[in-house]
Amino acid sequence: MRTPPEVSQVDFASAIAEFKRTVGQEWVFTSDADLDLYRDAYSPFLNEPEERIASAAVAPSSTEEVQEVVRIANRFRVPLYAISTGRNLGYGGSAPAYSGCVVVDLKRMNRIIEVNEANAFALVEPGVSYFDLYRYIQEHRLKVWIGCPDPGWGSVIGNAIDRGGGYTTANYRNHFDSHCGMEIVLPSGELLRTGMGAIPKAETWQQYKSGCGPWIDGIFSQSNYGIVTKMGFWLMPQPEAYLRCTVSLPRYKDLGPLVETLNYLENSRITSGFPDIASPLNGYPPIGQLQLWNETGPPALTDEHLKLLASATLGYSANREAYGRRTGIAYWELWLSFHGPMEVVEAQWQATQRRFAAIEGAKFRVVNRVALPIDPTKAEDYHEPELGIPSLRAFSIGARTPWSPTPSKGHMWFSPIIPRTGAAIIEANRVFSAAARDLNMPLFRTFTMPACFWERSFIFILATPVTEDPATNKRYREGFKKLIEVGGQHGWGEYRTAPVFQKTVMDVYSFNNHALQRFHETLKDAIDPNGILSPGRYAIWPKHLREKQS
Amino acid sequence: MSRHLRAAGQASAAAVLVVLAGEVWTPVRAQDHPDPYEAGKAVYTRWCAPCHAAGVTHPGTNALTVKYRGVKPGVLLEWQDLQAVAVKFVVRHGISVMAPFRKTEISDQELDALAKYLSRNTPPT
Ligand SMILES: Cc1cc2nc3c(=O)[nH]c(=O)nc-3n(C[C@H](O)[C@H](O)[C@H](O)COP(=O)(O)OP(=O)(O)OC[C@H]3O[C@@H](n4cnc5c(N)ncnc54)[C@H](O)[C@@H]3O)c2cc1C
Repeated sequence: MRTPPEVSQVDFASAIAEFKRTVGQEWVFTSDADLDLYRDAYSPFLNEPEERIASAAVAPSSTEEVQEVVRIANRFRVPLYAISTGRNLGYGGSAPAYSGCVVVDLKRMNRIIEVNEANAFALVEPGVSYFDLYRYIQEHRLKVWIGCPDPGWGSVIGNAIDRGGGYTTANYRNHFDSHCGMEIVLPSGELLRTGMGAIPKAETWQQYKSGCGPWIDGIFSQSNYGIVTKMGFWLMPQPEAYLRCTVSLPRYKDLGPLVETLNYLENSRITSGFPDIASPLNGYPPIGQLQLWNETGPPALTDEHLKLLASATLGYSANREAYGRRTGIAYWELWLSFHGPMEVVEAQWQATQRRFAAIEGAKFRVVNRVALPIDPTKAEDYHEPELGIPSLRAFSIGARTPWSPTPSKGHMWFSPIIPRTGAAIIEANRVFSAAARDLNMPLFRTFTMPACFWERSFIFILATPVTEDPATNKRYREGFKKLIEVGGQHGWGEYRTAPVFQKTVMDVYSFNNHALQRFHETLKDAIDPNGILSPGRYAIWPKHLREKQS
Repeated sequence: MSRHLRAAGQASAAAVLVVLAGEVWTPVRAQDHPDPYEAGKAVYTRWCAPCHAAGVTHPGTNALTVKYRGVKPGVLLEWQDLQAVAVKFVVRHGISVMAPFRKTEISDQELDALAKYLSRNTPPT
């Protein structure tokens, strides 16, 4: 049997016995074969000594069992690491941040406690996946949409507390922002409810976010201060119609005005669906079309276009722009979507066109004009998560396809937040493509467009492959860290990262001699004095391990 | 006001879920179906179909089509030589970008049923 560091075999055996008594023999895992299932399948340390691995796993089925597991862990000083569905691929999978933790696997806690159509909210447990919640809503014919990330098998709670994002409207696609009310087992084993849930007979737990007094929900995301056992989410009332349109712009210099106009329209809620910026002339797809490109191949380009793609600086060359003019291929193409009554979305689209018409040569196209709900058998015609429908199509990224015959072993997401301006897109391309070239990392095929998950910033996402070759993985790992540091030098930081990079990322957030980090540690010492919960998550270490890490 | 409470425990236990994206699902009692593959089918539909059902929109199917280039079908359900032991191995070890499945997702018993279902066309050796 594996043993956590700093825990005696006798103590660990006692803890395991108590875990078994609490959750049942079959839900405690200690064999190597069973624990291999808790490895991060996309780990850049695959099969290397630094790979983060668990010493055991325990799968409680209720909040009471979670409390008891936490109390036992305190008694024997056994480190725990909680996961909901453990599908955090690209950001750490189901492996702990600190090797030797006992993974608390919450997949069995899969109750959908309530879905309220009249006020559009849900209350769920951590094991509930987007597929589960979607199916439940379909089964009960409720007229609400969920906001889901690309992979539908993830946890509504797990994704939100890792601060993931989806593709519906601005109010709902930031999954942590759209939550309302949490129930948390604290590292002491005590149960806490936030917001209105702190009132014993609460009637509005999922209807008013902050309750009264300090609003503490944020500290339970990307942290190790508690195990979340319930969480409420605001759902989107099913819209009447969906309008998907594009705005095409002919010149390189139009990128700045494009972003400025988009910002005005989105921040005014004239458009609120997921905006998606492509560059047809640079051969860069909108995210929403990526799965289609993977499945049926990217659009064919002429030899002349291909030649032009090979010779440009930061996505620009005069020849390329002239070629676009001649052939009608846009430099930039902004995909917008509108949700609401047909007459409202049509009016929003009209206003959108009026604003963009100020940019010379702007062209407009309606891609889909759909009355909702769509026929479910037609869901594949769309990027499903934009209609609140979970799927696994995004795994075409990295999988074997006719256009990518050598599959990858996974990927690590490099995802810094950059300003929402055209200039920042160009600057991020300049900075990171130069760094990637120096580091010999194959991250840039052409000019890269950022993702518009969040309203007032971009995420400049680059997928770094994981391979079967340790030497290549080492080069990419070290390169990844360098990219984080380079971003930090420009004032950019990751929105989220895998445990192996969390220290490097948090080191970028160093204002005033790491005041933020020190505050996190102060909280950790107060909330979790024995340091049993998820040590090292987001570089927050309990006192007894802190010095060893630096 | 429509208010829906679900007190029952594990969704997967008694009910067989029809789960293809977009399809309406209905709980079905196991004893209504004498089909020996019912349990395996339920696991397949819940966990495998989103990647392995027919059509290029399923990354698993697309990958297998390219990998076997006509020698074997891309759709797993159509294989005539899939061994139960191979099913179990891939589910627990993963392959390419497919991550393994934990026992809290697919239990050993469910995996047995799945392997039996996916190898139903395979002649015994
Ligand atoms: C091809 C591909 C596409 C992707 N697209 C997206 C996307 O569009 N959007 C996106 O956001 N992500 C995306 N991801 C990343 C990831 O797969 C998802 O975010 C996924 O939902 C996260 O895994 P999970 O939901 O199972 O969370 P989990 O793995 O369960 O949780 C994530 C982490 O949160 C903590 N945690 C979880 N539950 C608890 C709890 N109850 N209490 C305390 N701590 C807890 C743990 O530290 C855990 O490691 C993508 C990944 C891939 C491979």
